[in-house]
Amino acid sequence: MKLYLCTVLQTLSLDMSNHKPKAESRSDEAEAPDGGWGWVLVAALFVSTSLVFGLMRSLGIFFVEFVQYFEESAQAISWISSTGLAAQQFFSPLGAALCNAYDARVVVMAGGLLAGLGLILASQATCLVHLYLTMGVISGLGWGLVFTPMVATVMANFTRRRTLALGLAFSSVGLSSFAFNPLFQFLVEMYAWRGALLILGGLSLNIVPCGALIRPQRCSKAPEKVDSEGGSSCAVMLRRVSSYLELPLLFERPYLTYASAITLLNVGYFVPYFHLVAHSRQVGFSEYQAAFVMSAAGATDILGRVVSGWFSDLGHFRLIHLLSLWTTLAGVFIMLLPVSSLSASYTALMVISLLYGFCSGALTSLAFAVVPLIVGVERMMGALGLLQLIESIGGLLGTPLSGLLKDVTGNYISSFVIAGSFLILSTLTMATLPHYFSCTDPPPPQRHSPNDKDKSLHSELEQINSLSNDMSDGGAQ
Amino acid sequence: MSASWMQLFFQIFLLLVSCRHINTKTPGPTPTPLAPVSPLTTEVRSAVFKGESQTEKIELTNPVSLTLECTWAGNLNKPPNITGYWNKDGDEIENSHVTVQVENGQYNLKREFRIVNKENLGNYSCMFGNEAQIDFILTAPQIGEVRDKPVVSYTGDFTVILCKMEETKPKPLNWNWYRGNNTEKISINAQPERYEIKNEGWTTKLKIYNLSDADSGLYYCEAAYAISTTMSPVKLKVITFWEPLKPFIAILIEVIVLVAAILLYERSQSKKNSVAETGTNADHTNTLTQGENSGSEGSSSMRQRKV
Repeated sequence: MKLYLCTVLQTLSLDMSNHKPKAESRSDEAEAPDGGWGWVLVAALFVSTSLVFGLMRSLGIFFVEFVQYFEESAQAISWISSTGLAAQQFFSPLGAALCNAYDARVVVMAGGLLAGLGLILASQATCLVHLYLTMGVISGLGWGLVFTPMVATVMANFTRRRTLALGLAFSSVGLSSFAFNPLFQFLVEMYAWRGALLILGGLSLNIVPCGALIRPQRCSKAPEKVDSEGGSSCAVMLRRVSSYLELPLLFERPYLTYASAITLLNVGYFVPYFHLVAHSRQVGFSEYQAAFVMSAAGATDILGRVVSGWFSDLGHFRLIHLLSLWTTLAGVFIMLLPVSSLSASYTALMVISLLYGFCSGALTSLAFAVVPLIVGVERMMGALGLLQLIESIGGLLGTPLSGLLKDVTGNYISSFVIAGSFLILSTLTMATLPHYFSCTDPPPPQRHSPNDKDKSLHSELEQINSLSNDMSDGGAQ
Repeated sequence: MSASWMQLFFQIFLLLVSCRHINTKTPGPTPTPLAPVSPLTTEVRSAVFKGESQTEKIELTNPVSLTLECTWAGNLNKPPNITGYWNKDGDEIENSHVTVQVENGQYNLKREFRIVNKENLGNYSCMFGNEAQIDFILTAPQIGEVRDKPVVSYTGDFTVILCKMEETKPKPLNWNWYRGNNTEKISINAQPERYEIKNEGWTTKLKIYNLSDADSGLYYCEAAYAISTTMSPVKLKVITFWEPLKPFIAILIEVIVLVAAILLYERSQSKKNSVAETGTNADHTNTLTQGENSGSEGSSSMRQRKV
């Protein structure tokens, strides 16, 4: 709650000439977070997301070098990036909690330093375990401290153009993996993997200026245990930690429903990335044709993110309905992928892959933007952190499951069909959210506090949120 | 009497010894009938002339008795007889002129070659007069994937150089490594803590420990077959850690400059805003310039304090 007000205060005082730090001019406040310094933060999120996820996606170039140098199996080497991704998702709640306790700017800058440090240390590795610890754990911790705080900060700075801002920023993942693949190849050829990792560590340090662009918070989130002074310091500390981590969210039905829906989505979401090329080769297309299909799907992914962000902010439909639509479509297209390639028609495979790429990009922008509508803007940071942690379970289950299905049945048809059905299941789970079938967004829940002062601020915030919803509805008409 | 028997015995003994001697040496021309020879497998390769000079590549691993066959449909005017002969590496093979007659509208030229060693490999051409020529290039299996970029490694580190024969081709009997240049090649033998060679069927790995600048250069891996060997070059480049450190330091400086610029800009903005709030409009600019100066001095002292 105070996070939101603080951000509003800063943007007002530092950017706008109207020095109105009070919450009196509510109409200005509901509009003010959109634009201005927010777009600078979108650019910062663009750069940091590309240095986190774009970098993770292009690490495959190093694997051949690692296999040759360390003389280990490909599976042992692939654990490096799995550890990195798992660490990023596992430490997301930690990043969110630290932002709630301290300053988002310091957390992101520290995360950038850790990410760079991990890669720099990895360049000196002499055995595989070193790589697990440096590229996996240390860099993963850094990435976890960077991603969730930056996304939450950008979302706090936008109300009406939130999804467009997110879509523009997340398009960096696809664009940067186009750019990083040849760049990494060049670095490895020039400097071998040690030098290339060193330079990548330096590139990752560029997250630090991105974090510096976040305005410093003048007030950090006050922990709400004003009345529990009677308890022991340990219990007080635990309650503070749980409030920073937003653990009470886990007991709220809407959030839990949404988190499980996103987890189910993650089970099926990554399957085409891993198996589409192999499936196309198995059906009989050439290596070049199969790789081209993936690149084309990646291009429409980028397009889908931006277009869906722009379209969602027009306000014609509720975000949750749009998310359900894109998820269902993506599930249907995943299920159609093996059918189109079985008919041995390259055009059909290409068309379905393009459509699938568009839908999967479209749903990515929305998946984060829906969170503040469910939990409220003040708890968004912790909610995002927990969501990343919970959805990682889906990712961990999905790929081995599809691999197992392929080994058992001998082809990829069943794994694609199951993956698509998981997405459909995710839509059905989303439909059980409260107020799903109403035409307007319900007011987001407020945190219950016995303090009267907090209550009055809460009611003010409720009015702000309902005003912003009214304005978005009004803007649509 | 016994002396002549001794002489005959001695001559037969000499004959047997010399025959065995011929057997153990790598044979130049075809081996003598006395030495036991495993029967050669026979292979037939044929080609049809299509109008332009064409080349057939044949890869052999073991000694064979190879029959090469050329077919030509002839010109517009088909003379009933034509002279055909064979070349090896551009030189005419002796006694290979044959008069070829038209059969079913085609000329057929066939010859059997015994390919048993390296000297027998090469470029064999069948010639129909001066009008048609088909080349057969006989070699041991070539290593297809040649790495054109050098393998880069660092001083003090170790490196692994890999050579791979395609698994669709026959497995080499042995692998050897050399270093040098085109004219001179020095064999590399495994030495503890220096060179380590691991041969695993179709791949071979040379591991060089404790690299130094002198180890840069060309290395050759050689696949040995019964009939011949093939070589493939790999270039090794040894650099110091200073090479990647240069762009790294450049990026580091860029990051520090950006962070400092952002922090300074923000401090000047906040100073400007706070000054504008308190000061009047008249001396707004004065306080601004003063504020900026004091702001920059303050920020530099702040930076020193932080450091």
